[in-house]
Amino acid sequence: MATETDSATDGSTDTEGTGAGEVEARVGLRYTLRQVKRDTTARIGIYTVGFITLVAVLGSLDYYVFDYGVAEAIWYSPVQDPEQVRRLLPPVGMENQYGQGTLEHPMGTDHRGRDILGRLFYGTRIAITVGFMATAIGLVGGTLIGAVSGYYGGWIDDVLQRVTETIYAIPFLVLVIAFMTAFGRDLSFAMIGVGITSVPVFNRLIRSRVVSVREEDYIEAARAAGVKDRNIILRHVIPNSFAPVLVQATLQIGVSILIVAGLSFLGFGAQPPTPSWGQMLSASRNYMLPAPTFSLFPGIAILITVIGFNILGDGLQDALDPRINN
Amino acid sequence: MGLLRYTLWRLAQAIPVLIGIITITFFLANQIPGDPVEIMLGPSPAQEQVEAIRARYGLDRPAYQRFLTYLAGVATGDLGQSIYYDRPVLEMIMLRLPVTLYLTVSAFVFAIVTAIPLGVISAKRRNKPADHVSRIVSLIGVSTPSFWIGLMLIIVFAFYLGWFPARGLPVPWASPADVRGAETQLQVLRTSLYHLAMPMVALGTLQMAQITRIERSSMVESLQGEYVKLARAYGVSESKIVRKHAFQVAQLPVITIVGLGLSTALGGAVLTETVFEIQGMGRLIITAINNQDYELIMGTTFMFGVAFVVGVIITDIAYAYIDPRVAYGDET
Repeated sequence: MATETDSATDGSTDTEGTGAGEVEARVGLRYTLRQVKRDTTARIGIYTVGFITLVAVLGSLDYYVFDYGVAEAIWYSPVQDPEQVRRLLPPVGMENQYGQGTLEHPMGTDHRGRDILGRLFYGTRIAITVGFMATAIGLVGGTLIGAVSGYYGGWIDDVLQRVTETIYAIPFLVLVIAFMTAFGRDLSFAMIGVGITSVPVFNRLIRSRVVSVREEDYIEAARAAGVKDRNIILRHVIPNSFAPVLVQATLQIGVSILIVAGLSFLGFGAQPPTPSWGQMLSASRNYMLPAPTFSLFPGIAILITVIGFNILGDGLQDALDPRINN
Repeated sequence: MGLLRYTLWRLAQAIPVLIGIITITFFLANQIPGDPVEIMLGPSPAQEQVEAIRARYGLDRPAYQRFLTYLAGVATGDLGQSIYYDRPVLEMIMLRLPVTLYLTVSAFVFAIVTAIPLGVISAKRRNKPADHVSRIVSLIGVSTPSFWIGLMLIIVFAFYLGWFPARGLPVPWASPADVRGAETQLQVLRTSLYHLAMPMVALGTLQMAQITRIERSSMVESLQGEYVKLARAYGVSESKIVRKHAFQVAQLPVITIVGLGLSTALGGAVLTETVFEIQGMGRLIITAINNQDYELIMGTTFMFGVAFVVGVIITDIAYAYIDPRVAYGDET
């Protein structure tokens, strides 16, 4: 609560040339939300992200609380079916060499006879978790490094910046692959790895803001009043760099989902039988000719999710950018 | 003069970054669980055999010694020996690197050639239908996984329409004897371009979308500049303003984004090569990982880093060439 008021009062220096009363209202969470609501594209973004997150939450509830309740219903097990005739069914209304699509499996079944819609549904859980966790790791790491680096300057700045530059210098998919080879191939390391690769992005963003904020009068005043450096960074410097970071974080969630899908496609990440979109696409490669729709739907799921975060990020940017509002 | 000094200075700056990359890759490769010697010799090898191999590849020495040896090796152009293939790592990389560079550079050419007109049209007709179409295309482009685009292209253009081959990528300078169905160098080039089309689009789409977005916002800003107003006041035609006055200034952020996009593109090449079964650097690093081939993993990761650093230096120099203020400014 305290930081929010801080950012509201301190942020007034950012928007110049407007009335004092109006400036007060131009920053802060509530104002942002009002702006976002007014923007049509941002609203679409919020609805999409909200829907996907809801699906992810419901999927988790089903998985953990009801122990695959819904999943059992739509999860066709080839083991239970002696004839194994219902493998690789196409979506409703289509036909392939394995038969015709049925309403029971609206998007058809995969090579093991499992319902694709059901697996997409559960894949959401992984995509959303990974997106948020990886971004959170990058955000916290990058913000701390960037803030410390920009605030102190000097050799601390030099050392930290060289280290993050080096991390940035290895193409990040390659870096995450090497990282996961070294530490482990499962999903948690994918999150950490992708998080580490996004540290330089947030670092750069925060540092450039901090360097300009550092010279502001109120920081000088806080220092003169004997406020500790750590408190100045946490209470004043970081909250004042909040807006661009929020935008970047939203976009970064989409990027993280894309990278983790790519990693799963290569076999790094969620291991079978856990359903993840990248891994479904990887499995579909062997059935592209008899069942092309098997490759189609997981990709569309990724596309819709990432578009949602991108639209939301763009909307936030418009809402938070004072130049456009004027 | 300024440009030459700037180039040299940028090259010198890259050295600590390269040493940093080697440190990171060495550290990671050392963390890899499992014993490469075991993989090489099978489950229960003779003790002397194991020790001989360990001594031969220097695995019996402490890590810091091996690191210094490796660093010295890299400085003299020796990336070590692949344990699995028993060949010099550099030699293996040099076989694969051209394929990956061919793919990546083509993807960027595709991206730039399509993105710049899209972005310029979008900025010129701001908030008109053409702008909306271009913005939606670029939004979809930044949100689509490149490997999925690859899969869809294969299904449609290779399986259904049969226009392009689904796998492999012969380089245009390969000898006709190595390329199936080609007798002359010209036919090699033709085959190569046919193979290139789909991977190029798959890898380039993301870059295309990103460049379109930057080009648009940069052009919008540039078209609002004072010099554009002045040119208009002088009665310069609108198309000439766009072509001559606004366009050049607007290209600076585009160059930056091309440099940064290299990181994504080189990483994406790993995925694209997997989808199209192209024998490039991406496949090499995946096989190296599957074989737990330390030296080869380190070598390929390092080379990916080198490719990116060199790419960024080239874009920086291009930037300095277009905007001489960079080269003459304070060099910090």
